Amino acid sequence: MQYCSHCQVCIRGNKRNCPLCGNILPEDDGAYDQQEIYPVVPPFYERHLALRIMIFASVVALVVSFVVYALFPSSINWPVFALFGLISMWLSLIIVIKKRHHITKNIMWQVTILSFLSVIWDWGTGWRGWSLDFVVPILFVSAMFVLYVTAKIMKLRARDYITYFLLDGLLGIIPVIFLLFDWIHVLYPSVISVAVSIIFLSAILIFQGENIKAELAKRMHI
Amino acid sequence: MRQRKSVEWTRLDNASKIFPATCSNKDTKVFRLACELYNAVDPEMLQEALNITMDYFPFYKSVLRKGVFWYYFQTSDLHPVVERESDPVCAPIYLDDRKNLLFRVSYYHNRINLEIFHALSDGTGALWFMKTLVYHYIRLRHKEAFADQIPEFKPNASISEKMDDSFGRYFEGRDLDILKLMDNPNKAKTARTYRIRGTRLDENKVKVIEGSMSTKEALGLAHEYNATLTVFIAALFIYALHKERPVRTKNDPVVLSVPINLRNFFQSETTRNFFSTMNIGYPFGQESPDFQDVIRGVSEDFRKELTAESLNQRLNQLMSIEKNLLTRIIPLPFKDYSLRLASKIADRGITAAITNIGQILLPEEFKCYIRQFSLCSSARMPHISICSYNDRLAVSFSSPFRETEIQRTFFEFLSENGIDIEITCNL
Repeated sequence: MQYCSHCQVCIRGNKRNCPLCGNILPEDDGAYDQQEIYPVVPPFYERHLALRIMIFASVVALVVSFVVYALFPSSINWPVFALFGLISMWLSLIIVIKKRHHITKNIMWQVTILSFLSVIWDWGTGWRGWSLDFVVPILFVSAMFVLYVTAKIMKLRARDYITYFLLDGLLGIIPVIFLLFDWIHVLYPSVISVAVSIIFLSAILIFQGENIKAELAKRMHI
Repeated sequence: MRQRKSVEWTRLDNASKIFPATCSNKDTKVFRLACELYNAVDPEMLQEALNITMDYFPFYKSVLRKGVFWYYFQTSDLHPVVERESDPVCAPIYLDDRKNLLFRVSYYHNRINLEIFHALSDGTGALWFMKTLVYHYIRLRHKEAFADQIPEFKPNASISEKMDDSFGRYFEGRDLDILKLMDNPNKAKTARTYRIRGTRLDENKVKVIEGSMSTKEALGLAHEYNATLTVFIAALFIYALHKERPVRTKNDPVVLSVPINLRNFFQSETTRNFFSTMNIGYPFGQESPDFQDVIRGVSEDFRKELTAESLNQRLNQLMSIEKNLLTRIIPLPFKDYSLRLASKIADRGITAAITNIGQILLPEEFKCYIRQFSLCSSARMPHISICSYNDRLAVSFSSPFRETEIQRTFFEFLSENGIDIEITCNL
């Protein structure tokens, strides 16, 4: 075993320096045939390079678009669109990355965020009503199918997806408000969304009622 | 019709609640129990021993999940797999939204490691698991030696006792006034506590320097100073911290956070968390910095804090916060933020931490197979962990910093007093 004469301690493992005082240890014979006590862990690989490149590209794109607009003005203030476009993209992307280990939760987050973003974009570009007419109800309905297919493909257990089914079923009924208050011009996406949601909800409540009750008791305990 | 299997879940106990909220890459809230043998570990037999051990500790099959208001444990059908050690010491275990077990078992040459996320269990609970694992491993590995008689090793509690939430059993959390809690009478007089600054290690690694020595010699030295081993090491730690700090902070008190095993005060056999913490300090500004005096001060503090009455009071307070309707209906993300903030504020009053899980007992016949046990943990500030087996006392010093002055002063004091020390370091 190696010995540090400064600290007066024996040192296990094959060290060049004393872990306490940092002095070089004498290379006495036979000291190096010792077993390592701890494995050497290689340095952590920089995994987020792709993300950094994307952030950098976003910044460059924004600066360039504002510069171009300043030099060649046009009637539409398009760099602002670029700005909000990038913000929207990043909002959605951040959730995708943060919730990547929980696919069903991720889908629900995307539905919520994309619905809000579509309403905001619609409102910001002169409220032509396309968000409520089409985007929101279609998102709700397609999420139901996506959730169902994901659950089947990934062989998820009822307890892992049932709450999100319930949540999406409830969201899908929301377009009934658009219909009642006459906020929309095109009826069929909303009507389909409400109808499909009611059928979907009744199915899960009838067939998975106990599971839903148990899941809610677990997730909502105070 | 298919039978529906009900999903089993349990609430987190009072002490566990802080860990999922405050764990991060910088402080993973993971601790490690290691057992070094005289022979190389056989991974297949270790796996077999682990499988047997799991049957005795069903709670270790839990995964941690997020609810709307609280975290909860959910039973899983995952099987732990023994792996060769390849991660840094106390690497993260709990990661948001990932359904993995809250502990891992690995081996490296002669050493068996058990790393546990603190929400699952405390040191004493983990030690029971470790002892069971080591017992079955040695029994299997050295079958021929125990051909006539297998040493006896009884599970010390029923399965349900092991899964007990003892906080809920012993502390009612009478509805105390939160405002009264805030103005703690001790608060006004406490000066600014000394806090160590240093250069963090790359990738948030922890530097573990472990000094292993003879228990008898260390005890002898402690007795020379009329102190118990824990008091002696705590006082030496405070002394080393004081000696190595910059002059401008010389008058600030040095405070150690010390966990208390509540099983010693309240009857419980749980393998889940059942501990509380106390702060032991020495006011260098007012008292003499002589080592003898530090020991006297520390020993006095231990005596004052370690009474059933003061424990009762503190735990009832903590329980009443948990049981308060207002805290209960705050959604989880906000709870996480407030717990993180509360723990940051509490950290301001602490310089370092020290844990002693004491002597580890296993059947006599195992002495010739086991070299030593050791305990270490992730650290946001320097942290000493102590345990002993047979005549080997392992004092592990975990630190997030590159500097080793405090460690050197600490171990130098012991070696200068005639104790033979073997040092191991992970970096």
